[in-house]
Amino acid sequence: MITLNHYIILGAILFAIGIFGVITRRNAIGILMSLELIFNAVNINMVAFSRFLTPTAAYGELFTIFIITVAAAESVLGLAIILAIYRKRQVLNADEMNLMKW
Amino acid sequence: MIELILFYAFAGVTIFSAMLMVLSRNIFHSALFLAVTLLGVAALFAMLGSFFIAGVQVLLYIGAVVVLTIFVINLTKQVIGQDVAQVNEYVLPAILTSVFSACLIILAVMKTDWGTRIAQSVAQSELTDNTALIGRQLLTNFVIPFEIVSVLLLAALIGAIAIVSRDKEVQK
Repeated sequence: MITLNHYIILGAILFAIGIFGVITRRNAIGILMSLELIFNAVNINMVAFSRFLTPTAAYGELFTIFIITVAAAESVLGLAIILAIYRKRQVLNADEMNLMKW
Repeated sequence: MIELILFYAFAGVTIFSAMLMVLSRNIFHSALFLAVTLLGVAALFAMLGSFFIAGVQVLLYIGAVVVLTIFVINLTKQVIGQDVAQVNEYVLPAILTSVFSACLIILAVMKTDWGTRIAQSVAQSELTDNTALIGRQLLTNFVIPFEIVSVLLLAALIGAIAIVSRDKEVQK
């Protein structure tokens, strides 16, 4: 029998992998992809909570839809910014984008 | 029993390809492993009974976000096919941070007693499709967030076009 704990632990592991990716990746596109991993970990938690705690209201599923939409918008804008920086400065690694770093 | 086997299979695929995604030295392979991870998560959504979310996950994440990422990887030719170092010097702090946060969440979950609420609600509903419920909620209780999100998408669309196309005008 699969319990709520299974899903939350899976979400925690996925979240940890995503955090590892965000911190260690040099490539800005890689950082964005790791962010998607974090969003997915949260989505698993949301849907699992909704299924096990409020199955008649589906609040978790609704929040998941909003999270997916906002994540798509975030990803589009992030990739657009990366593309603009690449065109201007031929730089793709996050540790070389230090123009605004004091 | 078969449910448990399926869960562990999908969870294994998800976590394994997520690890490969994070550790892969080629950013293009990384994007493909991200697609596999998202597919595994979609299968888990289907196992949880929300087939609509699973469909949205496949359409929006794999169909749009991953494809867009691959487009941008192809447009920024610097990294394709090169096995340059993709990992910076913060590996050890990153491992510590991620393991610590995962342990914190898992400990908190283990200590929490979800108790009677789960037993009640699982008995109430045997894996039913809740697409109709989501649609009804989205157009009654959640209608304002729904509209705000559509405005946000429009803003993101205009913003992306503005950011990317400004460069070209300056060059002319």
